[in-house]
Amino acid sequence: MARTAANGSLKTHLNQNGLKLEDVNKTHKREKNGPGTGVASRQYKQESFEQAPMYVAVMTYLGYGIVTLFGYLRDFLRAVELERCHVAQEKEEQKDFVPLYQDFENFYTRNLYMRVRDNWNRPICSLPGPVFDLMERVSDDYNWTFRLTGRTIHNVINTGSYNYLGFAENSADFLKTVADVTCQYGVGVCSTRQEIGNLGIHEELDKLVANFLGVESSMTFGMGFATNSMNIPALVGKGCLILSDELNHTSLILGARLSGATIRVFKHNNMLSLEKMLREAVCSGQPRTHRPWRKILIMVEGIYSMEGSVVRLSEIIALKKKYKAYLYLDEAHSIGAVGPSGRGVTELFDVDPADVDVMMGTFTKSFGAAGGYIAGKKELVDYLRSHSHSAAYGTAMSPPVTQQIIRAMKCIMGNDGTTEGIRRVRQLAENIRYFRARLKEMGYIIYGSDDSPVVPVLLYMPGKVAAFAREMLERKVGVVVVGFPATPIAEARARFCLSASHTREMLNQVLHHLNEVGDNLCLKISQQKYSSQPDLYNEANFEPDS
Amino acid sequence: MALGDYWKQLSWFYYQYLLVTALYMLEPWERTVFNSLLISVAGMAVYTGYVFMPQHIMAILHYFEVVQ
Repeated sequence: MARTAANGSLKTHLNQNGLKLEDVNKTHKREKNGPGTGVASRQYKQESFEQAPMYVAVMTYLGYGIVTLFGYLRDFLRAVELERCHVAQEKEEQKDFVPLYQDFENFYTRNLYMRVRDNWNRPICSLPGPVFDLMERVSDDYNWTFRLTGRTIHNVINTGSYNYLGFAENSADFLKTVADVTCQYGVGVCSTRQEIGNLGIHEELDKLVANFLGVESSMTFGMGFATNSMNIPALVGKGCLILSDELNHTSLILGARLSGATIRVFKHNNMLSLEKMLREAVCSGQPRTHRPWRKILIMVEGIYSMEGSVVRLSEIIALKKKYKAYLYLDEAHSIGAVGPSGRGVTELFDVDPADVDVMMGTFTKSFGAAGGYIAGKKELVDYLRSHSHSAAYGTAMSPPVTQQIIRAMKCIMGNDGTTEGIRRVRQLAENIRYFRARLKEMGYIIYGSDDSPVVPVLLYMPGKVAAFAREMLERKVGVVVVGFPATPIAEARARFCLSASHTREMLNQVLHHLNEVGDNLCLKISQQKYSSQPDLYNEANFEPDS
Repeated sequence: MALGDYWKQLSWFYYQYLLVTALYMLEPWERTVFNSLLISVAGMAVYTGYVFMPQHIMAILHYFEVVQ
């Protein structure tokens, strides 16, 4: 049968994958001996952002055009009262003022999003682990209102949660310390860190995070988004320059705008664009007065969650040292998920953590908790303890959440005496490699680097976005599809987040269903042939004298 | 049964047509409107071709002096 043949060829491929894992370890060992070679071998890794064939782009725009035309028709029917209007409308007295609901965003929400919104905000009634239970809901009036039928769909495979290391679990023996801490401290802190909410467990977590990352000191906050948006204003202000990547997260953009600094955007992961901007900034200075900038801060992320691409850390550090700028690295998705022992992109690129001025990350993704941290030199963290808005006004992290992070981090570092943590990190790396390789073999267009646990599968057409989500749910696989405001309008995608708690059987099931759905929907449009032989650059590193 | 296979294949093609033109997202009456518009325009094109094609072909052949 075709499946066993595929599995047969996969076995050899997996052996090569197994070899590949050791190869990577070998190159890492050699990187430690020679600081230069490590940087160079990482840079050769190409990230693929394959362009779709022309007919796909044409059909995407055709689809959007037809739905937009019908959107205008429905708006017209709603305006002449032939159809009941379900959305907010202005009152009669307000009709002479500036219209409120006529911009493109509201048009898009009314006429495109509402038609297919049963694919988002699905109610889950169990732990979001590797499998979860969904509550079934139906709509009688084309998604304007929903009702729950009362039935639960059990054991839907979860490919949407950021559960990279599988710490979203509820087994009693793993959570024993969390239960003890809840009994000791309670659940609410009822104060900020600066007032009376600085518990001993928070200090313990700060020290542990600093130890984990290999930096001098760190500070943790109760909310990951607020870590970015409230601390960037404390670090930069008017007269400073922020160079931020094109695809940065909203929290970084919000923090940058709140700070009042000048913001310039460079093309995604494009070092030439960044260098040009740095040169221009250092030469010309501030816009009108030509005074030198007080600070130049480069803001990048470790892994970009919509593309799955990894930052080019070594090149950015070289640029930063050359032009004397500062680096702010947001490792929300990469901490715990990349690197041979889960330390993030600094370990992946074999870079000294002291070279990154501000390391930021969140505990939401790989640690199964909530909150964020900022780490770096002691002077930086001491300054933030007194000047950050989040420290002064944000409630401190809740004790059970803090203990969950402590136990997860100790597990990853191996301090709890088991090899569970390192097993999970390796399992995640293996899952990533396997899943990406199989998807490329099947012929899907996938973005991003081969190390990232985020796998975006491009769908392009709006009809296919809705059909993909519904068909996968029928086959009991829960996927997250993303459309216009979060992605460019012609590049809608389905985003798979792999987890260390996905077993090989689960991944095979997901891939089997993906195969079927891909054939039903004609999604396998990649034109690059994927060969299952090891890449040439790996073999080039085996020269005996290098 | 061959007819059943043809029917399956045809409904798969119709499904692809719905996905590509994004009619999949629209309500049934909107699909009816769009399909009838499309069929009427296509029907008019075919009818016009049927009525005028002989004259056009004769004119072309006359231009290339294949026929007087």
